[in-house]
Amino acid sequence: MSPNDDFRRELNHVFDDISGSPDPGLRDRVRSAVAEAPGERSTYWIAAVAACVITALIVGILYVNNPFRRTGIAGPVSTPTPTSSPTSQPSPSPSTSPSAQPVICSADTVQPITQSHPQTAFISALRAAEHDAYDRLVIDFANGVPAAGVQLIPQTGTSFDGAPSGQPTTTRGTNGIKVIIQGADLHTSYSGSRDLVTGLPHLAEVRQIEDYEGTVQLALGVNGPACYSAFYLTGPDRFVIDITAAP
Amino acid sequence: MSAALMEQRPPQALNRAIQGDADSFSRLIEPLLDPAYRLAAVMLGDRTAAEDAVQEGSIKAWRKLKQLRGDASSLRPWFLSIVANECRMARRTRWWSVLKLPEVREADQETGESHTDLRRAMLRLRPEERLPLVLHFYLDLPLDEVARTLGVSTAAAKSRVYRAAKRLRADLTMEEVF
Repeated sequence: MSPNDDFRRELNHVFDDISGSPDPGLRDRVRSAVAEAPGERSTYWIAAVAACVITALIVGILYVNNPFRRTGIAGPVSTPTPTSSPTSQPSPSPSTSPSAQPVICSADTVQPITQSHPQTAFISALRAAEHDAYDRLVIDFANGVPAAGVQLIPQTGTSFDGAPSGQPTTTRGTNGIKVIIQGADLHTSYSGSRDLVTGLPHLAEVRQIEDYEGTVQLALGVNGPACYSAFYLTGPDRFVIDITAAP
Repeated sequence: MSAALMEQRPPQALNRAIQGDADSFSRLIEPLLDPAYRLAAVMLGDRTAAEDAVQEGSIKAWRKLKQLRGDASSLRPWFLSIVANECRMARRTRWWSVLKLPEVREADQETGESHTDLRRAMLRLRPEERLPLVLHFYLDLPLDEVARTLGVSTAAAKSRVYRAAKRLRADLTMEEVF
């Protein structure tokens, strides 16, 4: 016996000690594992299907959120969506919000461009939210915007007149903006609060002055100068008032 | 263990396996399961983990069969290299397996006194050092096939076998090893 054979024999004894014999069921185990395992082609097929599904999802999300697909009456420009609302009203969130309107600090009436209007526009929600440079109030309409437009009247101080009771309506803040909506009501489709203390930096409070005989008046209490930009949006129909710190 | 020489597998079976016939593939690798298990058991020092490594390696080989280069004779080193790689991965993920000291000690008591030193020396080797010894001495693979399994040149394979053997017995000469 050569030294090589001797070394090999001893080594193989050691290997046998370490490894022992494989389980007799290993062959069947491997056979069934191979039979159940998808082949390389199947892996590619699954990957291809997964890629198609993911692509379809991405395209769908982009389509739904495409700001150019929606036509705002006042011209769409993408800005952040309101992220919070002090109201408890369940209402659709505006996904696009043009804010390219000029900021003004004087009275103005924003006329709708759409041709058809309800006899009485039912306000369905009042929502306020904070954005980077402004606070936004959204007035949702359930059945279209009023034909007469929305009048906005900035004022010094936060005491508003015009209530049917003859008593002034006061709000928080330092100045105010009165919002007058002719041909609308705040009771048919609206069941939320009529006095929203927002806690926002610019728009401090939204309070009803009047909801009577087709006229709705709202008092907006603002911190700082009573300057705003206002415009309509569609899908759903809504009127947006952005309260900014300065023009 | 005696030398386990694999018979030549018919190229038709390999072609059918490459075409996706799982049964043909299973028949092809069945003779390789025993050496693959022994290789894994020595590398891992754990019989259960060795069987798992062989199973995982078989599945990977099945999935990657189209990547097999060469003829049917290339199947054995190719498959063993996959199993060896599974063992490396198993050691990385199942680091605790190296701590199964009771199993080692029990085995020590079962073996004869003359093999104890060699066995201890073997278990002190790193798995990467055990691999060329298993391939060459235990599975009786020729050096060129050891080289293909390790993915190195024949000269490098010979060197690795000799270095590992010298770590078991420092006085071994090249002639005694080969």
